[in-house]
Amino acid sequence: MLTHIWKKEIRGELYTWKSMLWLVIASLLFSFTSYLLLTNAELSLLDQTELMWLLGKIIIGVALLIVTIDASSIITTEFEKETAESLFLAPVSLKDFILGKLFASLTLWAAIFVVSIPYILVASAGSGLGLAFMGYVALLGTIGVIGFIFLIFGISLLYRSSKNTITTALIILLAFATPALFTSTLKNDIVSQVFSAANPIDNMFNSLDNVLVDYKTSLIDNWQFLLPLVVFCMIAFAILFLSAKRFEKQGIVKND
Amino acid sequence: MPDIISAEHLSKSYGAKKAVDDLNLQIKKGEFFGFLGPNGAGKTTTIRMLTGILKPDNGKIAIDGHPSEDKQQIAKIIGVIPESRGFYDWMTAVEYLGFFSDLYGIAGEEKDDRIASLLSEVDLLKRKNSRIGTYSRGMRQRLGLARALVNNPQILFLDEPTLGLDPQGQEDIQILLKKLSARGVTVFLSSHMLNEVSNLCSRIGIINGGKLIAEGTVDELREKTKLNKDKTLTDIFLHLTRNNP
Repeated sequence: MLTHIWKKEIRGELYTWKSMLWLVIASLLFSFTSYLLLTNAELSLLDQTELMWLLGKIIIGVALLIVTIDASSIITTEFEKETAESLFLAPVSLKDFILGKLFASLTLWAAIFVVSIPYILVASAGSGLGLAFMGYVALLGTIGVIGFIFLIFGISLLYRSSKNTITTALIILLAFATPALFTSTLKNDIVSQVFSAANPIDNMFNSLDNVLVDYKTSLIDNWQFLLPLVVFCMIAFAILFLSAKRFEKQGIVKND
Repeated sequence: MPDIISAEHLSKSYGAKKAVDDLNLQIKKGEFFGFLGPNGAGKTTTIRMLTGILKPDNGKIAIDGHPSEDKQQIAKIIGVIPESRGFYDWMTAVEYLGFFSDLYGIAGEEKDDRIASLLSEVDLLKRKNSRIGTYSRGMRQRLGLARALVNNPQILFLDEPTLGLDPQGQEDIQILLKKLSARGVTVFLSSHMLNEVSNLCSRIGIINGGKLIAEGTVDELREKTKLNKDKTLTDIFLHLTRNNP
């Protein structure tokens, strides 16, 4: 069942000029970043691994932004365009519905990752870290994207409105992303350090730093960053689960 | 004939407002049941509870013997034109019916044949490959009916199926509904078109303020109201709803 919903979403949401434009924008951003890193007088003085780290952060950041925007409307449009009632009158469970939409959003992440591969390969050429770089972008990006999708779907089922969902989702993304961009000197106090340790985006960036700058490529060396990411996913899943329960109790139609 | 739709002591409230209040309904297999009521009387809420979209606060529902909790099983035997008229505008009629066929597990040749036959039945064959976004209101209503029939349902729930259609469109839908009823499909029709209900339905239920205030054939309802034989269903309906606020 979820395959049919997934296919429908891919056709209706991803094979559209809107999604293609996002991929073009992502590609342009990666190109611009790579060009800047290689040609800018100051940036080009950075160590190659530092350049890779910067590129990795940009790939994950752009992907999170695009997937957040897409996931914010993928569920809510079914309510806004009044297609949800017909869908749930067919033998479709809420679980199938959510999983179908989840896979569609993950497909968008996969497409962005594929677009980023040539940039990863070029940036890491000769460093011996190409595979680790690609693997960690894929792993950290996938876990992070899944967590954010869970969270956004939970919000979508609560609000059932694209406008409210996208506003809330972007605020949450910014709340996590902005501190992650601060330098470590700005994170000296205990509050910042605790927030940084729990912040999924900080953990994704720190893990990349650990792999690319400190050459700690094994999963065991990165458990302190992966564990909070997995915990974030579990918390986001719990929010989605509770939201889905509330949704089932309220019914597909909120008010008459 | 066994009851194919059974609702006992059904209630649903939205905050302090009781939308449906202790409603009892029994509909026999093959019956063409008309469900009437003024705006806000609780018709749509009743249909949504019977079709499993909305959970009742109280009461029991059985659709062909299946309790309302058995949503997946019920979904397989019912077809619904809901109040929400949303479509995936970017799809063509063939893709749209194909998607719903997939959801019901209808595949291969059976799926293609079913879609072709439904499109022919609702007179959309010529526009089958046009995007739904380009369809007129009447065409969308007919496509909605085709979607409701995609799983070859035993019971059809229709919430205002001819709303906003021109007389020709209304007649087309009525002819189709008569055909379906003749084939043995149980039809539950909610409508404000009293002529339509009078022409099509073998039995009528009238709801007002969430309560079922009368039930029976047109003649039985006329008898209840003690109105003259020349009075139409509209007169009977107005008499009943005004006297049972």
